[in-house]
Amino acid sequence: MLFPFLWMVSSSLKNSVEAFATPPTLFPKEPTLENYRNVFRLLDMPRLFLNSIVVSLVCVFLQLATSALAGYAFARLQFKAKNAIFLVYLATMMIPFQVIIVPLFIGMRQFGLIDSYVGMGLPMIASAFGVFLMRQAMLAIPRELEEAAILDGANHFRLFFSVALPLCIPTLAALGILSFMSVWNAYLWPLVIIFSPEKMTLPLALSNLHGENLTDWPMVMAATTIATLPIAIVYLILQKQIAQSFLTAGLKG
Amino acid sequence: MIKNKHGRTAALFIAPSFLPLIAFFILPMLAAGVLSFTSWDLLSPPQWIGLDNFRELIVDKDFLLSLRNTLLFIAGYLPLVYFLGLAAALALNRKFKGSTGLRAAYFLPVVTSWVIVALLWKWILNPNGGLVNSGLAAIGIEGPGWWASKEWSMISVIVPSAWKDLGYVMLILLAGLQAIPPEYKEAASIDGASKRQILFRITLPLLTPATFFVLVISLINNFQVFDQIWVMTEGGPEGSTSVVVQQIVKNSFEYGHMGYASALSMVLFLIIMIITAAQVRLQKRWVKYE
Amino acid sequence: MKGITRKLWATGIAGLLVAGVGLVSNPIVAASKTTVNFFTFTAVPDHMTELKAMVAAFEKKNPTIHINIQSAAYDDYFTKLKTRVAGRQTPDTFELNYENFVTYAAAGTLLDLNKASAKDKTFKKATYYGKAYDVFNLKGKQLGVPSSFSTVVMYYNKDLFKAAGVAFPTSKWDWSDEAAAAAQLKAKLPEGTYADFQPTQFWEFYKVLGQAGGKFLSADKKTALFNKQPGINALTWLVSKTQNGYTPTKAQMGTMDDGAMFKAGKLAMHHTGIWMFDAYKDVPFGWDIVVQPGGVTPGNHFFANAVVASATTKNPAAAWKWARFMTSDPAAVKIRLAAGWEIPAISDKKALSIYLSQPVPANREAVFEALKFPVTPPVIRQQNEMQDTVNAWLEKALSGSVSVTEALNSAAKDVNAILAKE
Repeated sequence: MLFPFLWMVSSSLKNSVEAFATPPTLFPKEPTLENYRNVFRLLDMPRLFLNSIVVSLVCVFLQLATSALAGYAFARLQFKAKNAIFLVYLATMMIPFQVIIVPLFIGMRQFGLIDSYVGMGLPMIASAFGVFLMRQAMLAIPRELEEAAILDGANHFRLFFSVALPLCIPTLAALGILSFMSVWNAYLWPLVIIFSPEKMTLPLALSNLHGENLTDWPMVMAATTIATLPIAIVYLILQKQIAQSFLTAGLKG
Repeated sequence: MIKNKHGRTAALFIAPSFLPLIAFFILPMLAAGVLSFTSWDLLSPPQWIGLDNFRELIVDKDFLLSLRNTLLFIAGYLPLVYFLGLAAALALNRKFKGSTGLRAAYFLPVVTSWVIVALLWKWILNPNGGLVNSGLAAIGIEGPGWWASKEWSMISVIVPSAWKDLGYVMLILLAGLQAIPPEYKEAASIDGASKRQILFRITLPLLTPATFFVLVISLINNFQVFDQIWVMTEGGPEGSTSVVVQQIVKNSFEYGHMGYASALSMVLFLIIMIITAAQVRLQKRWVKYE
Repeated sequence: MKGITRKLWATGIAGLLVAGVGLVSNPIVAASKTTVNFFTFTAVPDHMTELKAMVAAFEKKNPTIHINIQSAAYDDYFTKLKTRVAGRQTPDTFELNYENFVTYAAAGTLLDLNKASAKDKTFKKATYYGKAYDVFNLKGKQLGVPSSFSTVVMYYNKDLFKAAGVAFPTSKWDWSDEAAAAAQLKAKLPEGTYADFQPTQFWEFYKVLGQAGGKFLSADKKTALFNKQPGINALTWLVSKTQNGYTPTKAQMGTMDDGAMFKAGKLAMHHTGIWMFDAYKDVPFGWDIVVQPGGVTPGNHFFANAVVASATTKNPAAAWKWARFMTSDPAAVKIRLAAGWEIPAISDKKALSIYLSQPVPANREAVFEALKFPVTPPVIRQQNEMQDTVNAWLEKALSGSVSVTEALNSAAKDVNAILAKE
């Protein structure tokens, strides 16, 4: 399971002759940092990283917040057209992005959001996937835990913040990882909406390492390794939350 | 009006996610719906052509082939990724030495880009001296053409896809498993239930919300499978792995048939929506919340 | 849990603040300057420095104009460009290769540069390499100026030839000489090394068709002609290379592309573009190039890129100045040649001598020799669709699913249907 990740890292440390040797070697005989040097030479890494991190953190936070709220509503509230509205949420996932990208772009232009961070981030502040996931998580919360709070006179906002949300930490953490991955790797929309090089995100800039006819693969591997690291880090941080046992969470809540 | 008991509260809870999704997805989708009745090369204004796109797609051999391939892909991928992910989640649900590391290891492919995973699997499944065929040759079997052959290309993209995504299924199912109160299992164990009985009578039923989720999401996502197949085989050889979204992408920007691409995606949307709506309807029958 | 929630809130608010600050602090360009956007793919990834140097030189000469460089990798370029055009954000100036030129020209996206060039007293059409300039003219309108051109030649691995005892290729070779050499090489070369790499696909096919004395489309572009006898000869020649084991199949190539195979010393003869010179600079074996062997007649690719301007640009005069500068000003040409960034499409042989004098490969004259017998690509408005259709049938012919004649006839039928919709 670790193989592709290791291979990516080891390819990034190879010089261009060894990179294409057959059979491929796992550990480079002459490891070199040249590819990483080239990446830093061709790309403004600090700026790209900053852009990606800011957009990712803001969008992930908003996705978690908006998804948890809506998930709670679907799990615990009764309202008109509930199933229909849920299907509308799901509908947003059923169309390939390539088809809506032009209408979305034209819409953004009307609001003067072309080539802006806001324009780039707005389509990513909510997630139907997140709403669905949180709905499932909240549906699975035993009602007894809420009944105690209801008897105390809590309204739904209190129930949400004090009972439901804490019990969903594992799912929130899972969603956090997946949302971060999706926003961090977002490619098609930033490609189309961003014109200025200084506003680019990392995956976008990464694709600019591909020439029309030639691609320096070891260098691309180096850039890909750098781009993958934050996701791996976010995973390592958040996966502890997923591992937290339900029992502890329930007692503290 | 019991049905709308929490109407106002619900509106507040729903609006922060609903409104952006309407603005940035539903509205453009409706625009795409209108565009499906036009011919548009993106460079000149769209031309209204009524139902022509739909008449064309019904007899479009490439589209029909891609639809068949997409269904084949899902039929192979879905069971594989679910059961592999379930096995991993069940095995790693306890804390033992190295469990954190193992979970990270299973998730790592999810995080690695498809370009790399595709290269790796192309090498493993290389008809000429790849890992698998070399192994087969050692025991006297001539390995198939894998991604270079029409017959085996679909399997050659299904297996890497399931392999890469199982960590993601594992993550969701783990979160679901973690939410099962241990008391339920302890109580059953005290009552004398065997591990197998606990698994099938308690764990799996309580996991049905997460399973439902994985099923619905996987179907929605994989009807639109494209990126990994493009990187591995570009839809070949000879169209044996071409999928619906490939037809959509090709027609939209490359060919300048945005209207036709929109029509194709409307058809895809309808198919996915019908299947998903059916699943949502049927969930009462088998999904156990609590 | 509470701690995490607080941390999440804090991060969220901090992020929003940073994003807000970033929004506000956009660079403000001096109001008195005209800004012209230039959207490029040829400079990506290795020549952004050279492009910036050209811009600096231009802005020095034209202090009231500021050039804003915007770039994308080739694979993303047209998605982005078409979205911009559809959203009425067409870049003031941008690049097009000839294969895509007709699509944009026919749709009216491009500015007729004749108006600006007529007013430009120092402009001479003869600065440009004649054919390259004319190729971007559609119905009397000059819709682009050529920035570079390239072609395909035959590379050969001297060490492999020596090891097999085969004489090096010469510019007098034809198909039969190439086939003979390939057979000899195959007999002597080790397993996994291939004698003659030439893929069976659209670009190779129309060129080989030209070498066979055939035409791809009729002059009025209404009928496909590539399924006539010359086409059959051409496709048979291509397919035979794979059938005889001179060209590896996709399965045999595995995870390497042809460039990687040549670099690894696995290809004796290799038909590919002159853009690979840089990539092959440091290989551990001797190599050189030669004009591709002709069939009935010699025939070589003629690829060209152009700088074009948007028909809706607010600064047509400035756009013209930049387009002209970037493609033919001596300062820009010098920067280009020094960096090995494609060959500028100019007619001044003396300026091009820098290109000829570089040591590797030695036989650079072959490039200009190749241009004496150009085969222009067949280009129509629905270019990508035609290419994909033809490629699908060529693939079937290569795998043996259909015969060569069947493939060509079926492809011609499909292409005629496309041409009817032009």
